[in-house]
Amino acid sequence: MVLKKGRFIIEDLENVQINIGNITGAKVEEEEDKKEEAHGPTIAPGIHGLRDWDRRLLSRYEPVYSPICDLCCYCTYGKCDLTGNKEGACGINMEAHQAREAMVRTITGASAHAGHGRHLLHYLIERFGADHPIDVGPSNIKAPNTQTVLGIRPETIGDFIPVLNYVEEQITQLIATAHAGQEGSALDFDSKALHAGMLDHVGMEVSDIIQISCLGFPKSDENAAFADIGMGLIDSDKPVLLVIGHNVAAVTYIIDYVEENDLVDKIEVVGLCCTAIDMTRYNISAKIVGSMAKQLKYIRSGIPDVIVVDEQCIRGDVLKEASKLHIPVIATNDKIMYNLPDRSNDDINSIMDDLVSGSQQGVLLFDFDKIGELAPELTLKMAPIRKEKGYTALPDDEEFKRLTSSCTQCGACVINCPQGLDIDVAMTAAAGGDLTLFEILHDKCIGCGRCEEDCPKGIPVLDVIEKAAQKVIREEKGKVRIGRGQIGDPEIREEGRNLVLGTTPGIVAIVGCPNYPDGSRDIYEIAEEMLKRSYIVVTSGCSAMDIGMFKDDDGKTLYERFGGRFSKGNLLNVGSCVSNAHITATTIKVASIFAGRNIDGNYEEIADYVLCRIGAVGLAWGAFSQKALSIGTGCNRMGIPVILGPHGPKYRRAYIGNPYDPEKWNILDARDGSSHLMEPAPEHLLISAETKDEALPMLAKLCFRPGDNSLGRMIKLTHYIELSEKYLGELPDDWHVYVRSEADLPLAKKEMLLKILEQEHGWEINWKKKKIIKGPFRRPDVSFQPTNVPGLCKGVSV
Amino acid sequence: MAQKTVDTTKRAVPFDRANVPGPKMAKPVKAELAGKLISKAKRPLLIVGTPGADTGIPEIIKTFNSNNIPVAATGSCLKALKQADVEATYVNLHALVSYLKDPKWKGFDGNGNYDTAIFVGHTYYYASQLMSTLKNFTTIKVISIDRHYHPNAQLSFGNLNDDDFRTALKIVAAQLEQNPS
Ligand code: SF4
Ligand code: SF4
Ligand code: SF4
Repeated sequence: MVLKKGRFIIEDLENVQINIGNITGAKVEEEEDKKEEAHGPTIAPGIHGLRDWDRRLLSRYEPVYSPICDLCCYCTYGKCDLTGNKEGACGINMEAHQAREAMVRTITGASAHAGHGRHLLHYLIERFGADHPIDVGPSNIKAPNTQTVLGIRPETIGDFIPVLNYVEEQITQLIATAHAGQEGSALDFDSKALHAGMLDHVGMEVSDIIQISCLGFPKSDENAAFADIGMGLIDSDKPVLLVIGHNVAAVTYIIDYVEENDLVDKIEVVGLCCTAIDMTRYNISAKIVGSMAKQLKYIRSGIPDVIVVDEQCIRGDVLKEASKLHIPVIATNDKIMYNLPDRSNDDINSIMDDLVSGSQQGVLLFDFDKIGELAPELTLKMAPIRKEKGYTALPDDEEFKRLTSSCTQCGACVINCPQGLDIDVAMTAAAGGDLTLFEILHDKCIGCGRCEEDCPKGIPVLDVIEKAAQKVIREEKGKVRIGRGQIGDPEIREEGRNLVLGTTPGIVAIVGCPNYPDGSRDIYEIAEEMLKRSYIVVTSGCSAMDIGMFKDDDGKTLYERFGGRFSKGNLLNVGSCVSNAHITATTIKVASIFAGRNIDGNYEEIADYVLCRIGAVGLAWGAFSQKALSIGTGCNRMGIPVILGPHGPKYRRAYIGNPYDPEKWNILDARDGSSHLMEPAPEHLLISAETKDEALPMLAKLCFRPGDNSLGRMIKLTHYIELSEKYLGELPDDWHVYVRSEADLPLAKKEMLLKILEQEHGWEINWKKKKIIKGPFRRPDVSFQPTNVPGLCKGVSV
Repeated sequence: MAQKTVDTTKRAVPFDRANVPGPKMAKPVKAELAGKLISKAKRPLLIVGTPGADTGIPEIIKTFNSNNIPVAATGSCLKALKQADVEATYVNLHALVSYLKDPKWKGFDGNGNYDTAIFVGHTYYYASQLMSTLKNFTTIKVISIDRHYHPNAQLSFGNLNDDDFRTALKIVAAQLEQNPS
């Protein structure tokens, strides 16, 4: 008898032997009970599920709002003038409105990634089946964000269905709170923004894990291959197919078609933005043109013969710009449809004819098989036609001279340039034959085209810049180690201890978009400085590309000079935008693998651990998008501070610590719940810097954690002091607050620093033993268990 | 030699054309008046940004030192200010506006928060955005004596060319010298 399920009764047994193989039901229940006991208190938290944690964060790191507009025009009661924190007609004041504005943007960013993830999940389940196993490399903790937020340990891609269901439901609930006439508290809007940020990391994690698992991307591969990057590396004599965006699904069909039809050497498949990163993870033969800042520049060059767009961070005028140069556009995703006709059900040849003849400037195509064939074949057809006509927006030498000479130096372009670049001065120099100013300006120019909108002389300023910079553009040749994906468990096992003890001074995550204040070289220099100091530098997306654009005197990029392992002094490109989830995931893994913390549904405890112990800091130096805000906000909820570039305050809010206020810097000892005054570590959660030179010491400073041991603190303090001296010209004026004993002092400067402590800060020093007798408000204690959560303390009831 | 003059109230339109915050925008101010108001302020603070390290500007900033007006060196201008013997304290601008809106902050000297913030030598959009915090959430008077018109200040110079900007700063400095605090 085989009995699978149900209940049976046996009566009147005599001389009967019963063999019971496996009482499965009981076992399952037992397992369930165990699991129930094991997981943390917040499985799939709702909007208020982690509100207490948010309030702990926000009471120390107070929101600082910087309105970009003093009016609210959100409903028909308005416009309302909220200047000076006044209330509008609905009763909301400026603070709360700013918090709402920032929250809406965070939700937008989270939705972009979650939408991307859902699109990929549908597609990959259809193609590979829901049972397709997850494979991210050598890891037991396969989806750390998912596990921490939802308590789910996915094994197959289908297991992510309830995960995305949760994210989408929460996003709906969150955006509902933005409706006029609801929430009135700035702080609660911020808590909701933090919730959205956390959801974003789950959505990103799903997106990247499923594409890694199904599309053969590198899996925690420290030796991932190098891809070519730069406009100078593209052979424009060949037909050029340009893809732009973030969702690689359709592009994989193009790459497969090119390979299967022996076209690899006959056609250049190149990409901009994260699709570029992901297509090199799919197939190394693809090339990366560069970051978003290159979009308009590259289209205007006239080099692409066909453009394929998918989703996110794609200019709204791609079709308009491409049409001027007879470059057909294929839109492949319903996020961007440019009012194009849907030709998904049409025969490829008829679509091709319409695009080649120009009777249609672009098409909408949702059928990936057709996209795979049409895009390369169309490129082959378009190339000779376009090359013969010499389509380009760039002026020839004569026209260049005429344009630069017609400039009246009125400055209208400068006033409309978001970077305030001295275009007028460069025009004058160029008219006189000197191109150097434009060559310098070229890297600082984000390629937005706003300068052209206001020129009374109708000068196509961006084209002039690009023409003037041709020499440097030809030299734009770099290398990027392609996205490696997650950090594997074995790497964490090896490095976790160094990180928590501080002997690896920290993780610096250089992420985000190319809206840099002073060109892309800054992030290369920041990465190099921190790598030389043994920080682990993690990067992704546009930043990962730009870091690879520069070389040292031996012609080597940073990727070629530094290894790709999760280990001190290594440079790791995790991948595209959605790979940013692996950064928070890494800190979760450290908490789990090194510290043995239970991560399932246990967000607050893990975030608290990260905030207290793991010196990780993000740098979104050129952040411009809503996604960058949601990524940063998700890091913040996980206890990771983030520094933004000087455009950052346009996001409208920051989370800044006030180090002079002792009430903000109390920390508990989990051993007994006792409260202690601590150094401001980390000092801020979200803040901006004006220049690279200012950001560098800040990065070192934001790696301090209350859990540092003395050796770790000494190493971190050494870097903070050295970077401040090197870039700001003096010792930082707060270095002493990070000193808990003489063992925290940098060895090479110990004597000098002890003197300063005695003379300027009135500390008592025993000079014979070179010991600090009195001064620090806290002594290091190796058994100290820092926490911000009373419920995690022994003997404390909450 | 007579002091050169310049009208700093001309071209008082946001330097970044779209940077129009709302109905309350800075009044254009003459350099002489800006200098007088600064010299009369009870708790003034001069806030300098990275472009404030440009040639010649630190020399003018020194006048603020001699008038006992504390100087906050934001961004990465501190090195250049110190080389010009300006006494200044490094502080991050974003953090500084957070402190300025906190009644608990006792200032750099421990004597209390400031009532007047004077901005010079900044990355335009960065300073503008952070002045908006002061404008909307504090009662601090913000006077911009920078090269470009700052709508989020209370009083601001208009957009000036480099020569006029330096002349204007000299006029402010002369006022400080004439009206020592
Ligand atoms: S949402 Fe409120 S503040 Fe905004 S326009 Fe409507 S009534 Fe005015
Ligand atoms: S395209 Fe470049 S120069 Fe023109 S406005 Fe944009 S950033 Fe400035
Ligand atoms: S707006 Fe045109 S004419 Fe005026 S400075 Fe710029 S390029 Fe020259």
